[in-house]
Amino acid sequence: MTWTFFLTTIITIGVAFGGLMGTIAYLILVERRLAAFIQDRYGPNRVGWAGLLQPIADGAKFLLKEDVIPGHVNKVLYILGPSIAVFTAMAGFAIIPFGPVDQAPSWMRFVIAPNVDIGMVYIFCIGSLGVYGVILGGWASNNKYSSLGSMRASAQVVSYEIPLGMSIIGVVLLTGSLNLNTILEHQASQGFIGWNIWTQPLALLIFFVSALAETNRLPFDLSECEQELVGGFHTEYSSMKFALYFLGEYAHIITVCFLTIILFFGGWHFPFIAEADSAYLGATLVKVLVLLTKVLMVILLIMFIRWTIPRFRFDQLMNLAWLGLIPMAAVNILVVMTAKQFDWPLWTLTVGSFAIFIAAGLIGTSGKFVVGEQSVDFGESPEGHVHAH
Amino acid sequence: MNWVSENASLIGTLVLLGATILMLFPTVSNSSGKRSKLLGYLLIPVSLAALGWVFLQPTGDMVRDILFYVAGGTAVIGGLLMTTERNPVYAALWFAVATLGVCGLFVINSAPFLAAVTIIVYAGAIVVTFVFVIMLAQQEKSAGYDRIPQQPLLATILGCLLVGTMLVGIHKTFGPAEPALLAVDRSNLHVSSRPVEGDLGSPRGIGRTLFTDYLFAVELAGTILLVATIGAIAIAPRRPQGSL
Repeated sequence: MTWTFFLTTIITIGVAFGGLMGTIAYLILVERRLAAFIQDRYGPNRVGWAGLLQPIADGAKFLLKEDVIPGHVNKVLYILGPSIAVFTAMAGFAIIPFGPVDQAPSWMRFVIAPNVDIGMVYIFCIGSLGVYGVILGGWASNNKYSSLGSMRASAQVVSYEIPLGMSIIGVVLLTGSLNLNTILEHQASQGFIGWNIWTQPLALLIFFVSALAETNRLPFDLSECEQELVGGFHTEYSSMKFALYFLGEYAHIITVCFLTIILFFGGWHFPFIAEADSAYLGATLVKVLVLLTKVLMVILLIMFIRWTIPRFRFDQLMNLAWLGLIPMAAVNILVVMTAKQFDWPLWTLTVGSFAIFIAAGLIGTSGKFVVGEQSVDFGESPEGHVHAH
Repeated sequence: MNWVSENASLIGTLVLLGATILMLFPTVSNSSGKRSKLLGYLLIPVSLAALGWVFLQPTGDMVRDILFYVAGGTAVIGGLLMTTERNPVYAALWFAVATLGVCGLFVINSAPFLAAVTIIVYAGAIVVTFVFVIMLAQQEKSAGYDRIPQQPLLATILGCLLVGTMLVGIHKTFGPAEPALLAVDRSNLHVSSRPVEGDLGSPRGIGRTLFTDYLFAVELAGTILLVATIGAIAIAPRRPQGSL
């Protein structure tokens, strides 16, 4: 290990961390403006030009407000909760490539920790620790609403980890690697039709839905739903500790959007302008910009979803994971394994994905499946739930 | 008595470790005043340093040694405090910390996949379930008999004997022939320092090993899990629709 290696790592961490923090600050502004647009009002537009300085004002307010720690809380765990939330969200970003890793300049890399062969497993490993932030914060608050929120959160996150992990196994099997950069370059080397979205559309759907649930975003934010639980697990939190929970949530969202793009949409690859072998002047920069633009699209999609789809009920949430997503993911793995074993052409996977989806939809909407005296409905899509309830 | 004097360092370290654990155990708080656990906390680094001095030899690679001491120390301290903590929520969290320490050791020994999976399964799922159950079950102050250890002395002695037996066993298998101290040559224990197949710790290597060398064990474990799953579904009470 040489000093240049060390210095490069420090610079990369600084760029990634600073970029992440600045992006999160402005994503909150974007989210508020977007919410205002959807609800036909103005939103924050007073501080600076069109509200562009609002994040700085918000940050200053969070830092300068009185730091209240209520008397009835368990102090150690109360402070540990938001710390874990931020730590896990940041640590998860360490192996995400945010540019063409091979063509990075010498003074910086496009991934903080390169060549992590267990890539996706590491992400799930860090993500599975993230639930401690919510559980500990809710329990330490010593408040019934907080406890209810954290219990919902733990059940939800533990459940949705399973379809999240199962959905990407198809992609991993097709690539033959867990390394994110290998998955990305495998798609880029095959051009536009090599994107995993074409062969694994169902996996994308399962991954995206589970990821929304993992990040506690609407329509899955039952752990903090205002109408029932005041503020859920962060009812007792104020000022910077509250902001830390938000920071963790948004960092988690950004990580998930990067994963969606890298696993299913070819990462920095785009037809004609950013191919695997394009070497014109500034190609590296274009590739970084392509990747970031794609990620921004997914973030905006998540924000639109937040203000479009209403919140699930808790039993619907659990049914969706256990009766809908997990069986579909399992069958999808089976299809990919069969296709790999018998060397079927790749388009059979697309057909297989749609066949699974249609079959699941038919089972879910064709009435009740009788178990004993109770009737259990298999709802796997929001439509199925509207029908069933 | 010859054996005792030869292995004085082993016995002395184990006694020190046992004393540390005994000091850390909670006592009945309402009778004869509360004994401070400060002495126990002070003894932790002392006994850890003694353990390290007696049993560990530096491998020569400084970064690796430091990582080993940090990960191993985390695991041992996490385990100690998990056993002696009165509050079950803290105990579960110390268990998670101990798991993280052990996973650090896995990473040092070139088994990152094993480490990640262990964290997912233990720290991410099992301990979360523990904390979940404790949160549901323990709303009030727990009963008196739950707040004190029942057989601290016996448990400590048996535990230290077990540790000593294992250490002697490891020493007989891996240690040098005529040791001055009872020192285990750690370079023999490190997977990465042995000539092994290049990808033993990678997902590919683990998958190949599991489905060739250990196929029978994997199938057996899978069958047991399947039976357990069916059993869990069978004994779970049926609830009316929509009353989750």
